Formats: sequence, C-alpha cells, structure tokens
Amino acid sequence: MYAYDQYDHALVNARVGEFRDQVNRRLSGELTEEEFRPLRLMNGLYLQLHAYMLRVAIPYGTLSANQMRRLAHIARTYDKGYGHFTTRQNVQFNWPKLVDTPDILQELADVEMHAIQTSGNCIRNVTTDQFAGAAGDEVADPRPYAELLRQWSTFHPEFSFLPRKFKIAITAAKEDRAAVKWHDIGLILKQNDAGETGFEVIVGGGMGRTPVIGKTIRDFLPEADLLSYMEAILRVYNEQGRRDNKYKARIKILVEDLGAEEYARQTEAEWQAIRNNPIDVPAEEAARIRAFFAPPRLEVLSDDVAEVDDLARQNFLFAAWVRNNTGKHKVPGHVHVTISLKPHGGIPGDATDAQMDLVADLADQYSQGEIRVSHAQNLILPHVAKRDLPALWKTLDAAGLGAANQGLLTDIIACPGLDYCALANARSIPIAQAITSRFDDMKRLMDIGPLKIKISGCINACGHHHAGHIGILGVDRRGEENYQLLLGGSGAEDASKAAILGPGFGEEGIVDAVEKVVAVYLGEREDGEEFLATYRRLGPAPFKEAVYGAR
Amino acid sequence: MAKKLSGPQMVIANRLDDGRVVFLDRAGGWSVTPANAAVADDEDAIEALANVAAASVAANKVLSVEVIEATTDENGAPWPAHIKFAMQAKGPSVRADLGYQVALNWEN
Amino acid sequence: MALVNLTGKETGTWVHIGTETTIEDGAVVAAPLAQLVDADESFFKAVGAVGAVLATDADWRAVAPLANKLSFVVINFPSFSDGRGFSLAVRLRKDLGFRGEIRATGHTIPDQAMHLLRSGFDSVETPDAREEAFKAAVKRYQVFYQSDFTGRTSLAHARHARAEERKAS
Ligand code: SF4
Repeated sequence: MYAYDQYDHALVNARVGEFRDQVNRRLSGELTEEEFRPLRLMNGLYLQLHAYMLRVAIPYGTLSANQMRRLAHIARTYDKGYGHFTTRQNVQFNWPKLVDTPDILQELADVEMHAIQTSGNCIRNVTTDQFAGAAGDEVADPRPYAELLRQWSTFHPEFSFLPRKFKIAITAAKEDRAAVKWHDIGLILKQNDAGETGFEVIVGGGMGRTPVIGKTIRDFLPEADLLSYMEAILRVYNEQGRRDNKYKARIKILVEDLGAEEYARQTEAEWQAIRNNPIDVPAEEAARIRAFFAPPRLEVLSDDVAEVDDLARQNFLFAAWVRNNTGKHKVPGHVHVTISLKPHGGIPGDATDAQMDLVADLADQYSQGEIRVSHAQNLILPHVAKRDLPALWKTLDAAGLGAANQGLLTDIIACPGLDYCALANARSIPIAQAITSRFDDMKRLMDIGPLKIKISGCINACGHHHAGHIGILGVDRRGEENYQLLLGGSGAEDASKAAILGPGFGEEGIVDAVEKVVAVYLGEREDGEEFLATYRRLGPAPFKEAVYGAR
Repeated sequence: MAKKLSGPQMVIANRLDDGRVVFLDRAGGWSVTPANAAVADDEDAIEALANVAAASVAANKVLSVEVIEATTDENGAPWPAHIKFAMQAKGPSVRADLGYQVALNWEN
Repeated sequence: MALVNLTGKETGTWVHIGTETTIEDGAVVAAPLAQLVDADESFFKAVGAVGAVLATDADWRAVAPLANKLSFVVINFPSFSDGRGFSLAVRLRKDLGFRGEIRATGHTIPDQAMHLLRSGFDSVETPDAREEAFKAAVKRYQVFYQSDFTGRTSLAHARHARAEERKAS
C-alpha cells in the first residue's frame, strides 16, 4: 500500500487546519451557509435529511487494517456505531456533528486518510478493480496509476471548479469490475504488441439523467504519458463543458455534442502541445509509487486443501461461500475473499463498528493487513491462503458477515435513498431488504446464478440502476413512492444501458415484478445461460408479458 | 420544490452545530419534537413563522429551513404531511433504533 | 474593494473604459476584449498602457493577435464556481506566453487564492471583508502535487530533484 511521506502528511494536515478554521468561522457567523457550503462539500461534508453526512475517501478502494480500525473508532466515537460503504468505494458516516468534523478529519489524517474531493465539481476519488494486485486475470496492478492520479488531481489549481463532478476509473483485468465505460474517464490498462504498458482511454460515460456508455478516444496511451493526457482531456472539458444547465454539464454531453472524434482530435492537439511540460512524473517517482504496491510475499501453496473440501461436503453454506465469495489469486493456494455486506434482509453496504474491527483483525490475521472495498459495496480480503478459509468463514459467519451471495441476486447495490438522502424521491434500502428476504434461499439463488440488481432512489443513479441486469429506480408519483423496473443493463466489459420495461410499481409490486422476471428467465434459459444473456437473446417482450400481461 | 403549499403549515430545519432536525416551536425557538411545532393556517401567520425562521438562519442557529405542509399524528399533534419531511421527523425507516422515533440517545 | 497581491510582483492601477469614454493621452486603461479587437493603431498609440477585460468564456485565441500590445489582463468571474477563468489564465501564460499582470475580478472566494496564484494570476480584487482571508489562504500550503505557474515544479519532481542534487554533490 502507498505510505505517505512528510509532504503528503503536510498536505492533509494543512487541509485539516484549513477546515477547522472554516468551521470556526461558520460557527461564529463570519461565514454564511452560502459561503461555507462549497467549502464543506470539498471536504466531503453534506447536509442530509437527519444530520450532516461525512463522505471519506478510500483511495481506489484500498484500506489497511489500521485504517479500518480508525473507521470503526470514528463510527463509535463520533457517529452512531456504523458506516455505509458506497458504490464509489468510499465510506459515509451518517450522523457526525459539524463541530466534530475537524477532529474526525484529524483522526483520518493521522492514518493517511482524508475526505478531500469526495464532493464538489472536481476530480473525485479514483476507483478501480477491488481485486487489484490479487486477481489472476490482470495485466498489472492498476493502483500505482490510481495513486498517481490521486496525487495529480488533489487540489489541482485548474480543475477544481469544473462544470460538474468528474469520475475516473481504471481496470487492468479482462473482466471489467470497475465499470470503466460508465465513467467520465475510463482507463483500461493493457500491453501492446511490443510489450509496453499503456492505457485504452475512454471518455464520456456516465449515469444520471442521461445514461451514456463511454467512447474510446485512444487505443493505446503509453503509461508515462498518463497525466499529461488526462490534463488535455480535462482542459478541453473545463473550457467547453456546459455550465448553463446542471444536467448537461457532465463530459458525456460535451462528447456527444462534439462527437468522440472531435473530442479526441482536440485532446490530441492539446496533448502534443503540453506533453513535454513537467506534468508527467519522472520515472523515479513512478517507480517509487509502484514499489509501495509490490505484491506481498506469499508462500506458494497447493490449491487442493483437504480441510476445505471436507467442510464443503458437510456444509452447503460453506461450499456456496467458497464458490461465490472467493476467487482466483495470482499465487497458487491463495484466493481473494469477498465479505458480503448484503445479509438477507439487511442494509446493503452498512457495517457496524464491531464488524469493521473484526474485519481489520481478520485482515491482519489472514490477509497481510489489507482490505478492499468494492463498488458493489462489499469488503474484500485480497490475499487469503485457501487453508485458512474454514476458520475465516466460521468467524465471519458468527458475526453476520458470512453471506455466500457475492454476485448473486441478493448481492444488491442500493443507494441510501429517502431513508437518508435529501435528494431522494423514494426509499431504496427497504426494496433491497424486501427482495433479499423474498429470495432468502441459497439453493434457489445458486440456481438463478449471476444476477445483478441495482437500486437508486432518484435519477442521480448513485445505485447504478442503468447498469443493473435488473435496475430499479425510485420516483415520486404524486407524493407516493413508486418504482420503475429496468432490464438488461451491464456495468462490465459488455456495458449496456438498461431499458425501462413499463409502468412503475409500489413497494410490494416491484418485488413481485422482480420475481416474475426471474421466473421468465428460469423458464426460458438455455443450458448454462446467465440472466443477462437470456434477456439479450429474447428481448423485453416475454418479460413484459409476464409482468404486465394480466393488465 | 417550488410547489405551492396549502392548508396548515409548519417550519422544519436542521440545527447548524450538529445538523439535527428541528421544528420552529410556539415560543419561537427550535424543538426536536414535532409535537411542539407551531402550526399556522393563514397567510399572515405563515409569513410570521417564515420571518422568525429567516432571522434564525441569519443568526446562524439553523440552516436548510423549509415551510412545509402540516398534518396531525395519531395523537392529534403536528406532523409533517409529506413523506420526505415525515422521514426527517422520524429518522431512517430502516433503523427504527435511531432518530426521533425512539426519542433518543441523541442528547437533545 | 481590496486588491490582494498574490505573487508579490508589482500590481498596476488603471481606469476601466467603455465605448463612450474619452481617453486621455497616456492613460492606463482596461477595455473589454471586443473593443480592443476593433480598435485601430491610433488607439494603442494614444494610450499609455492597455489591458483587456475578459469574461471567463472568452476564447484565448481571440486574444492572440493582441497579446503583445497588452500590459495586463483582467479576468472577470461571474461566479466562483466558473472554473473557466483558471484555464483561461493558463492559456494566456502557456499558449500566448503572456507575462503581464493577470488580475481576477468579480466573484472569487478566499479558498481559491492558491488556485488563482498557481494558474497564473498575479492579483485579485475582492471585497474588503475578504482581504485577510485571502492573504491567509496564500500561506496555508507549502507543497503541491502539480507543477504550476508560480514556477514551482510538482512534488513528484521535487522529491527526486532533491535526490538528484544529493547524488550530484
Ligand atoms: S441516487 Fe438519488 S436518492 Fe440515491 S443517493 Fe443518489 S441522490 Fe440520493
């Protein structure tokens, strides 16, 4: 993991001092709310329905055990004993007091964390594959590049007041687990024929009111040129992105207006003009950062572990968990483990202080002190020896963290919705709870197979409903919560936009509708065909008929 | 939400220092209990409430002030009519252990 | 209004002129870009020094033909959130090689002091009440992750420049 040097420390500490000063000026009345609002937002502090909400960055989803312990401590001391992991690999505290937030930021700074640029019209926390550095299918670890981007984008003098927020994601694996095509900039790390490392650069993806899948503007950008090329993309956007209408201000609209080719041309021209300026880091710096992400030294072990097989034979839930929640590691005899934060009937993405502490301890014990957060709102232990799985699972299961549903129907992404969010039209969490309770049967879930349900409480799409195999969008229909059903989206390498199936439903009706959709799939699927493939083959008609037929 | 309001109205806000949801009460102060909320029926009275609230914003006591439609709860006490504000009055529906709904550990 | 000097270089004083204003010979004047684009040689001869007032959405290319006639540029922010002003200053410095004073006017906030300075601004005009906060903000941070127009190189470069020096000595 990256470790701060004195300069990184100086920067975040200066930021805490600055914010403490701003909070004091606000409390004394020197600053009005109008003046203070943009300042607090740039430190991740929102006002939600019930209280302030503090969004803390987890850079590219990587956490140390100690950092996780600090999050637990903050949840216990300054909040109400829990935190919420988000679809942007961040963590949110729902009840901090304004007067406490400078202290919270100091607690974070002490463990090399911050809330900088977790809100506002700036470059947000860069996200990446939750299995980075562990996954068997990656070209290289994407995190050194994410760290480079983190540093470059932090307090950027020119790009801190963009037309709108700006999100960058990187993936390095064949399977896109970072939804790069849905980001303002998506980067796919790859190797060219000459064996050099670089990026395919995608721009103009985004969700929200107008979902758009990003377009490739460069097939191969040498890795050494990453920052100067980013700067060129951002300059074109900062100058020409629309500022007259909040809903048309994202880069996706500019890319549509100019056309991807023209956007590429302008970027290329600007990049040629600046690529020799001191923007890209010297090779020594790239190497310095990369060294922090050197793979942990893991013993090569056998992939056949009798204890695992034995327990799997005796215990169906353990077998399901091994199958669904663990995945191939670079080092034989190891796996990465997804700790599901989606207990059936529970709140997706929430973890208590005790659970956070436990995960920290387990990371120390079994995973080299490393933890990841996924955009699917789960936690990951990236480097676990297979032989430790039985003990690990038993401990997790006893703490309510043993759900074996990673990637299955009940591994639902849901935004906070109207239970917390001031922008919401409808609640998201109770819908997730109702669905996971309805499908609370591991055998049935395993039979259904991979199926991603994503729920947003309003058109802002924080719950990624456009990218759900089944998407659910909460709307306000004459003061009542109403839910639209969308089908056929994907956030992976085969990215696609989900389409609305028909009229919306109430809370009860939407759960029934999901069940009907699943029934059509089970009836129609061909051998080994997953839900999305069946939907793509059949189109919406049979689903529509099953859901609305009786009308 | 520039929708025109009608009927009895009350004022909801968040306290500046801790963000907690409060209601403008009948003494012109801010109460965490919706039952204490001042409810106004006619235009002049509503405007008077809005003015008190605005003064409170200017004095940096509260923020996010909204005049909202009021109804009554099962005991006949004031209660926000719209679901969003009712949610604020109660606390998250998915955490019955938190918020006003348990009249709670959040030292007032 | 207060004038906060960000760079410590000398700041100028000038009069803003419109189309109606008569210009005294040798006066230092600031005029809207459009007016300067239309002005003939005699105008530039008559005035002592001239600067252009740019809106944040001005096209830097339109400034190019005038650049060597301008002593200073004023970029007027309609709102602090209009970040085009930063890119515009960068364009003037980077693409036009402009070396005169660049001043921010209009709505900016003290917490942008470093952004302004680092994007190439020299000075900022702000309500008196914000002067102190602006001055304090300039001093708050010592190191940055990006190279900028104060002549500072990025931390990434600085980290290794020091290593280079050590190696050399
Ligand atoms: S999608 Fe809407 S309701 Fe959900 S968190 Fe985002 S803004 Fe709030």
